[in-house]
Amino acid sequence: MNRNFLRDKLAQELRLALVVLACLALLPLGISSPYWLGVLIVSMYFAMLSVGWNLLAGYTGQFSLAPAAFAMLGAYTTGLAAWHWQIPLAIGLPLAIVVPGLIGLVLGRIVLRLSGPYLALTTLAFAEIARLVIYNSIDFTRGDQGLNVPPLVESHVANYYLLLAALVAATLVVYAMLRAPIGRYLQAIRDDEIGAASRGIDVVRAKTIAFFVSCAICGFAGGLYGTFAQLVSPELGLIAQTGIVIAMVVIGGMGTLVGPLIGAVLVYVASEMLRDVGNIQMIVFALLVIVFARFFREGLWGLARDAVAGRRAATAAAAAAKEAR
Amino acid sequence: MALLEVDSVTKRFGGLRAVDGASLHVDEGELLGLNPTQLTRRGVLRMFQMTRVFARVSAFDNLVVCGLAMGLDEPAASGRAVELLEELQLAHVMHLDGGQLSGGQKKLLEFGMCFMVPPRLALLDEPFAAVHPVMKETMASFIRRRNANGQTFVLVSHDMPVVVELCPRSVCMNAGKVLAEGPTQQVLRDASVIEAYLGEHAADEVEHG
Repeated sequence: MNRNFLRDKLAQELRLALVVLACLALLPLGISSPYWLGVLIVSMYFAMLSVGWNLLAGYTGQFSLAPAAFAMLGAYTTGLAAWHWQIPLAIGLPLAIVVPGLIGLVLGRIVLRLSGPYLALTTLAFAEIARLVIYNSIDFTRGDQGLNVPPLVESHVANYYLLLAALVAATLVVYAMLRAPIGRYLQAIRDDEIGAASRGIDVVRAKTIAFFVSCAICGFAGGLYGTFAQLVSPELGLIAQTGIVIAMVVIGGMGTLVGPLIGAVLVYVASEMLRDVGNIQMIVFALLVIVFARFFREGLWGLARDAVAGRRAATAAAAAAKEAR
Repeated sequence: MALLEVDSVTKRFGGLRAVDGASLHVDEGELLGLNPTQLTRRGVLRMFQMTRVFARVSAFDNLVVCGLAMGLDEPAASGRAVELLEELQLAHVMHLDGGQLSGGQKKLLEFGMCFMVPPRLALLDEPFAAVHPVMKETMASFIRRRNANGQTFVLVSHDMPVVVELCPRSVCMNAGKVLAEGPTQQVLRDASVIEAYLGEHAADEVEHG
């Protein structure tokens, strides 16, 4: 049992992630204001995007700038299916997983040989093109008027638990992947792609799977958000939304299971509280992202874990010193 | 089977650098056309001159991922990783991230990564460069033991004492051409080898003196 072995680290993080999710499940008991419940629902949506993006950026090293675009694609998949063909949500929502996943798979193949800023810029270009196509295809998508989507469940509380359940599922999917050999392959690719290939890891296959799962999670988040808001619009895919997701993952803890969960809730709730001061909130988050990315690579989760480990070590040292005396 | 591979690799080594590569064997054509992953799966593993370990996972996990990639299951890979860490004197740092190891420890770890599943052919590119003498000995005995059991190695090195000690047979190359090939002691006495490494005068002195 060692804290730095992937398997043990993952088990520890899963326990903590489940604790965080359990706390989130208890929140509606204490919060009755529809406004704050709405805030929590949106933060669940962002937490799902964070979990999806973290799989790609944090664990695989593929710094995509398209998570919000894939949420938009998921929302429009459900929305367009219902609007044009009266396809029920029972089919429309699973489509919001499959369609963005497949588009992500194709995008993953296109950017296969790119890394760093090139990959970021290509995915950014994809995100903007996707948004502009939807924005301008007025006959098909109604452009910036958006599409009305039927609700899946009516009340705020029910919507909250719906998104929370999806978030739990997404977290467990990522956990299962990380625990399987593919999870180790992804982290090897993140650390050294050429090295990974020369050790017998099928880099193309692993990256393609990561893109598919990540984009599918983002797409599903978008689909569910559409049924809550009962309206989907191209604004879901704005690059600023991706910026918020990056801030959440970096502040919470990139490349960790717990980080995206706490990051999403903290950042979104904080941004709601800071709404009165206007756009200065984005400056604050941007500065925090720089500080965390530079000095605390595993974010708040890493800081908390190290603090606990440090205190344990100090206690153990004190006990040992006492015994020696 | 293994002998055939040694033969073909030495030839390929000469052919690879020579102006016309007409001497390439059929086997080599097959090997050359493969990407690194396929090559590794066929049992040809290489070590890099600039070490390549996975910087943000532990030394233990560095080994496990290589074992899984070569088809071991998780318990087998973990068991093998612990064995190799003991043998390579890395047990005390197995929990550190690959990026936290010293240069020599990284090289040792890379040995382990190549031998999670013993390859049919191991290509070692300057494994001894800038490595602490104690670790060098650990590496040398690691190679010696496996070689004694029939493992095939191709070792690229400028470290003559180690080459003399480990390699019964050598190929000496200069400027992309094979100068001499044969038993190591004989290669070292070859006039063209001495000329290339020590200069023309030295070759004369060895011959006349």
